[in-house]
Amino acid sequence: MKKLSLILLGLGVLFAFPTSVFAKVKIFACAPEWGALAQEIGGENVDVYTASNANQDIHHMRAKPSLLAAMRKADLVICSGASLEIGWLPILLNKAGSASVQDGAVGSIMAADYVPLLEVMETVDRSMGHVHPEGNPHVHLDPHNIVLLSKVLADRLSEIDADHSVMYKSRQNYFATQWQEAITQWESQARGLKGSSVVVYHKSWTYLLNWLGIETVASLEPKPGIPPNAAHLASVLESIEGKNVKAILVAPFESEKGAKWLSEKSNIPIMKLPFTVGGNSQSTDLKTMFDNTLKQLTNN
Amino acid sequence: MSHKKLLLAASAAVLLNVSPAIAASDADLDALRAEIQSMRDAYESKIDQLTSKVETLEAKQTQTSRATTAGIANIEPAAGGAPAPATAQRNIKDSSFNPAVGIVLNGKYNNFSSKESEIAGFALGEEGERGTEGLGIDETELNFSANVDDKFRGSATIALHEHEGETEVELEEAYVATTALASGVEVKAGRFFSELGYLNSHHGHADDFADRPLANRAFLDNNYGDDGVQVSVVLPTPIYTEIGAGAFRGNDNPAGGAEGGDIGAWTAYGRVGGDVGNNTSWRLGLSTLQADNVSREAGHEGEEVLFEGDSSVYIADARAVYAPTGNNAEQEVIFQGEYFIRDEDGTYEDTEAATGAIDYNDSQSGWYAQSVYKFHPKWRVGARYSQLYAGDVPAGLAGSSLDDGGHDPWAATAMVDWTNSEFSRIRAQFSREEVADNQDDNQFTLQYIMSLGAHGAHNY
Repeated sequence: MKKLSLILLGLGVLFAFPTSVFAKVKIFACAPEWGALAQEIGGENVDVYTASNANQDIHHMRAKPSLLAAMRKADLVICSGASLEIGWLPILLNKAGSASVQDGAVGSIMAADYVPLLEVMETVDRSMGHVHPEGNPHVHLDPHNIVLLSKVLADRLSEIDADHSVMYKSRQNYFATQWQEAITQWESQARGLKGSSVVVYHKSWTYLLNWLGIETVASLEPKPGIPPNAAHLASVLESIEGKNVKAILVAPFESEKGAKWLSEKSNIPIMKLPFTVGGNSQSTDLKTMFDNTLKQLTNN
Repeated sequence: MSHKKLLLAASAAVLLNVSPAIAASDADLDALRAEIQSMRDAYESKIDQLTSKVETLEAKQTQTSRATTAGIANIEPAAGGAPAPATAQRNIKDSSFNPAVGIVLNGKYNNFSSKESEIAGFALGEEGERGTEGLGIDETELNFSANVDDKFRGSATIALHEHEGETEVELEEAYVATTALASGVEVKAGRFFSELGYLNSHHGHADDFADRPLANRAFLDNNYGDDGVQVSVVLPTPIYTEIGAGAFRGNDNPAGGAEGGDIGAWTAYGRVGGDVGNNTSWRLGLSTLQADNVSREAGHEGEEVLFEGDSSVYIADARAVYAPTGNNAEQEVIFQGEYFIRDEDGTYEDTEAATGAIDYNDSQSGWYAQSVYKFHPKWRVGARYSQLYAGDVPAGLAGSSLDDGGHDPWAATAMVDWTNSEFSRIRAQFSREEVADNQDDNQFTLQYIMSLGAHGAHNY
């Protein structure tokens, strides 16, 4: 009896208060960097589900069952956009997403829509390999873009969960202030990097390198999305001869094989940068991820 | 005390003045802010509530302005003073106003050691039959898809294929689906491949082998795609749970002969799925297709049989995807299998032998299991085994397509494919099929599948 009355009381309490008192805003983040940013702005009023980890190539993921289950509950979706998630996100949205998280709705944030894009293609032909005509989608590696997105997130969270809008805005304010200080520090730390050059595996680093003024002299992939092959690696080796190349940049989800071969032949060190939150053990949040990236780049 | 009263009056005034005026002018907001500022020192905690009201109003204002400026994002300079770049606004993609167009080109070379390909005990439809020998193009698929508006999307797939020297045009799919119903609910209407088991709802070009397993060929004539309506619901459960049902005209094998009026076939399915750790995902499903008052003629040439009655197909399917390194782009192992039972109650008639309608009430079954291993970003190998069990043949139909001659048909298949990019794939496949007694068929297939245009979604 006592148990029953407790349950009834519990139910009564549940119905007496609007659900928003308890319900956290459920955020579906396609990638760890967006999950981390959502957590920074949302704090304890949001529940963040991150669909991938740093070891996964987001472009080649599938709309697997667990993602459908997570999308079913989402109030807000934050992803990179610019076709990066095109192989699986549309299926999740069609099958399980509510009306308020569909493209263009209040609960949908595609980061590429809110930042200046690099490598926007005037004409695209698939013989160029896997290029995204909208522009390069890996926008999170320019920290200035993170600030822009933090503002968009705070605005959307305030719309979705108006009761906590003051909190979202003040958290964003605090975050942006701290972040701006960090940017200033990173930029002074990286002053010496301007004009240096690197070899990349894939165009994953465009925004980072553009921000720091570092030049890309070659890609290990012959064309974006086409895995490295011996002939192309040999031509890369030839093309970098005599050039002062600082490092070969590889993301956690990219194969090290080609990079190792090139590194042995050319004595250029491989640098495994975190790429996103969780990309190595030091990169536990957005700030430490950039800290570690800058530390690796400048120690060299 | 009087301070408290003043505050109450002030808050009431604020509420009364402001709440109906969603588009309050900036002057109003400024006045409010000034008023609040003056009282802040004394009433810190209460003032916070007022501030929050103002913030809510502001949020509403931004919302309306966002709606009227057609999606231009309000990006203000960041707190630290970083200027907002001139291009920082929502891009409206040109392509979103046109349907995405995709073309799949598919060609094959087939070599078969046996002239005969009839599967003992089963009357197959046209699509489920063995492919044509020699060089030739397989299905060429044209797909158009786009969002219709904010509530609907549409898709049409037209397949062109060769049959007995003629190019046939087939409208494979043409459907509309909802995008903005209640969370997790989708209604699909038109012609489409039903959610039955795993493979049925997928197009052949996305398959891991050059042909469908024996079981899908025998029980679903490769694909069951019919005209109708289907409702699916993804439930808000911790693990993935989806249920759905459909009502169809009843015009595609194993249904057939629908004359309109009644609903000729029903489907229902349920499935669950989830992850084990970071690197493995799984999916299990049960589904059924119930076709009533079927009138379907099919079978080996010269041995056609006409079935009239009710046909029920039950399917159990399972699939697991494992990424050894945690990154599917690099390495991946897929296990997949389906088990079929088909119950038929009615009459079969061997039209060539003019046997007349003979009572038939029996079930047939079959299954396949396959595994594909991607060991390199470009290379995959796969193996598949499929087996069928025909029912007992009624005495009057001995020697017809339904007579399995005491043999359970089976096929074992191995394949290797090379994927240059996600848009092109070349495959070599070897199959050993023993689908009838003393009918050993060694099959060799070389195939290419290439896609042009719109980027299709990857299956799950």
